[in-house]
Amino acid sequence: MRTVTWVLRILSIITFVIMCWTIYRLLSGYWEWDIPYVFIVTVFRMLSLLIFFASIMIVNGLAAPFLGGAALNELLSGVYNTLILRLWYLQPYGVEGPVTDVFQVFASFSTEFTSILYVLYEELFTFLYFLCAAVGVALFLQSLVRMEQKFVGGAFISIQLILVVAAFRGVAIYNFDIFPTDFLVFLMSSLQVLVLVSFAYLEIGYQMIYSHSVGKPIEDREENLKKQLLALRTATRREDAIERGDKVRSSVMSRISGATVFSFLRETIERKVLGSKGGVENLDAVSDVRRLQIYIDELLSSDPNASEELTAKAAAPSEKYVITSTITGSLLRIIAVVPISFVLLNPSFLLGLLSYPAGIESSIELNQPEIIMLYIVPILLLFPLTAMVIRVFSGRESEPEPTLSKEEKAEVKKRKKELQRKKKEAAEARRTREQARQKRSPEEKDEWDRALEETIKH
Amino acid sequence: MITIRGFVVLFGGILFLTSGFSYVNYYLTTLGVYMIVGLVVTLPLFALTANLSGIEVDRVLDKEKVFSGDFLRVRVTIRNKSKRQFDFIEVWDQYPETWILAIGENFMASRIEAGKSITFSYILQAKMRGRYYIGPTEVIMRDRLGLHYYRRTLKARTQVLVYPTWKDVRRMESLGKQRQLGLMFGAHRTRVIGMGTDFAGFRDYTPGDAFRSIDWKSSAKTGDLVVKQYEMEKNIQVVCMVDTSGSMGNGYPDNTKLEYAIRAAVLLTYMGIERRDLVGTCVFSDVVHSYSPPSDQQAHMYQVLEALAMAEASGWSDYETAVTYVTRQVDKRTLFVFLTDLEESPAPLINAMKIVVANGHRAQVISPFGPWFEAPVGQFGPVEKVLAEAVSEELWERRTKIARALSRFEIEVVNVGPEDFLPTVIRQYNLAKQRGIALH
Repeated sequence: MRTVTWVLRILSIITFVIMCWTIYRLLSGYWEWDIPYVFIVTVFRMLSLLIFFASIMIVNGLAAPFLGGAALNELLSGVYNTLILRLWYLQPYGVEGPVTDVFQVFASFSTEFTSILYVLYEELFTFLYFLCAAVGVALFLQSLVRMEQKFVGGAFISIQLILVVAAFRGVAIYNFDIFPTDFLVFLMSSLQVLVLVSFAYLEIGYQMIYSHSVGKPIEDREENLKKQLLALRTATRREDAIERGDKVRSSVMSRISGATVFSFLRETIERKVLGSKGGVENLDAVSDVRRLQIYIDELLSSDPNASEELTAKAAAPSEKYVITSTITGSLLRIIAVVPISFVLLNPSFLLGLLSYPAGIESSIELNQPEIIMLYIVPILLLFPLTAMVIRVFSGRESEPEPTLSKEEKAEVKKRKKELQRKKKEAAEARRTREQARQKRSPEEKDEWDRALEETIKH
Repeated sequence: MITIRGFVVLFGGILFLTSGFSYVNYYLTTLGVYMIVGLVVTLPLFALTANLSGIEVDRVLDKEKVFSGDFLRVRVTIRNKSKRQFDFIEVWDQYPETWILAIGENFMASRIEAGKSITFSYILQAKMRGRYYIGPTEVIMRDRLGLHYYRRTLKARTQVLVYPTWKDVRRMESLGKQRQLGLMFGAHRTRVIGMGTDFAGFRDYTPGDAFRSIDWKSSAKTGDLVVKQYEMEKNIQVVCMVDTSGSMGNGYPDNTKLEYAIRAAVLLTYMGIERRDLVGTCVFSDVVHSYSPPSDQQAHMYQVLEALAMAEASGWSDYETAVTYVTRQVDKRTLFVFLTDLEESPAPLINAMKIVVANGHRAQVISPFGPWFEAPVGQFGPVEKVLAEAVSEELWERRTKIARALSRFEIEVVNVGPEDFLPTVIRQYNLAKQRGIALH
């Protein structure tokens, strides 16, 4: 299964690179490489201004009753230059070099406020391109290593978000003025190629994760079993050595790595640790480990299939099947998605079928993308509806109730009847005994009755 | 059913679709449509092929009756009886919460071809006695991309009966081996001097002794009349009365009074069978749940184990009903060993003892004291501590009264805690043998 996963991994890299490269080329001229730095520095300086303003206000407020404003201005400038500007280079807006007059900073900033905000706004979108690209690449790399679908989906959405931002900014990305009515024109368009590559990346990414996850549990199972058996063997030998009186060397690490591989041994060790030294818990824990070892040894020697069943090695799917099913499955999906999407996106095709009045057919709204909402919702809902109908008619949702055999039913009935009979008999006997006791005269009281009276009385 | 991944794809599709509408851009619209269509287009095909009713799960256990603490292999076979393969199938075989998964995994994920089967196994450690069920099995089928799934729970369950723990018996056997090596002294069979064939020793002649018992050779040597004694080994008959009333179930799950009482009953039965004594068991609360008549046969052990395995703490202790039932069944002198917490009203107990004694039997009570089996007082807050102490005092006072009343009739009440429950039972049994109580 590893080979298939590797092939799909390479295909995933190729489609991702093509997708990214196409988007990069599409936005050529918008990738200003110094913008991320400038944007971050601008934000940083805005923050520094805030700190500057806050510190000046606090110090002024505290010191004003005791000192003159001029002296404070100098003091503040000196302190700011020494402590903040030198150490962290928090240069406020509108000031070059050291600060001489704190109010100069505010005056300078207030004149440039709107232009600074505008610059920030302008740079924000380019910064977002880079941010989305960086996040997308990071998630893509994660997806190759960690094999989780959220990373594939995240990488895809992050990269596509670049185009969403670009569309918002009015950058000329792939588009149609009027959606083509010819399927071949649509199929050959650059827009369609990029959409198809992006979709192919998503498809291959998910197929790669399927190929990994369908074989992984069995590989993990085998690996875990090996670790468990090794840990068990080590624990048994250790106990044997302790019993013989040999000194056992074991580092904390070896104990942890050996013992925590499976819950049974971990619990056993916890029992040993928590139980009193030399106590019953200790004995039980040691005995359990040894008995499990004996059980495993007997099982493996008596049943030649035991090891294979524990690892479920035979259940591993064949690579050949995964390859063929991946190719056919992906092709089928793409072949189904492209024409259906074309039909949904192209109102003229469906309008021809529905024969609307001439006024609607020549309406300008039909050339807007939103028109597809008229068809997409009902048509797409048909698919889950069909699936639901299939499920309902095939009766797969109903779960079989536990059925008892005739003998089992009779057994349960007998048990209930027996308990009822016993309860009835016991209640009857109690009533009889009570009546007999009540009938007795006080003279008939024996030693037992007196003992009982004394017990209750005291 | 759409998975979380499927919803993420749907969300992405809607995001791009609405972006396309907002910016009048066909690229984003097309991408959104592709994603949404890609999500739902295979749904009917998946519904058609994912025929989970074609999946059959067969579970085989190595044993259906095990002792608490024993290991058990569970083999699960998944068969695809349909004509289509399942691309991704997850199978979770459920086991009782109190059990421990010792080796392997109870989970399996793979694909399965049409008409084929896959088998996996795992090893469990059975914990706590009782009737348990392995299963049901949950089968989840996903499509290749993990966007849709169907789930089905197969109700097939396999019953396992877990006997009370055998570790006390094992521990006693290991002590027995030490005894054989001369390291320990243990109990011996009850010897009755007088009748019998085994030589026991000599003693001086006393008037009334039969002439044929005089050993003339020894008498000639010593010059005094000496009588030769023989001994006969006899066995006792015991019925272990296990109280399963609700109060016996208080405490930590594995540390209740009932669990200790059951362990004591197992040990007593085993010892009895080993030493050829007749030991029976009666499990009772407000009714007699089960009764195994005294026997020294090996098969008797399993009857007792089965009865004890099913015991559940519920109801109240009707000693009289239980004693009446047992006294009707036994025709020889019997020692009734009550394993009860004495938390009921004293009247039924004293009345029951009266029946025991009136029928010529003997009785003794081994009583677990409730507070010693529950949370240590140190774990309580100040208010709970005071309340616990008050309750303890009241309970102690009550059992002291009962013990005093019963001691008048030579019925001993022994208070026990978790540490000394089993040793006390063994000691009392050995004492009964030495004293020759309820010989048959």
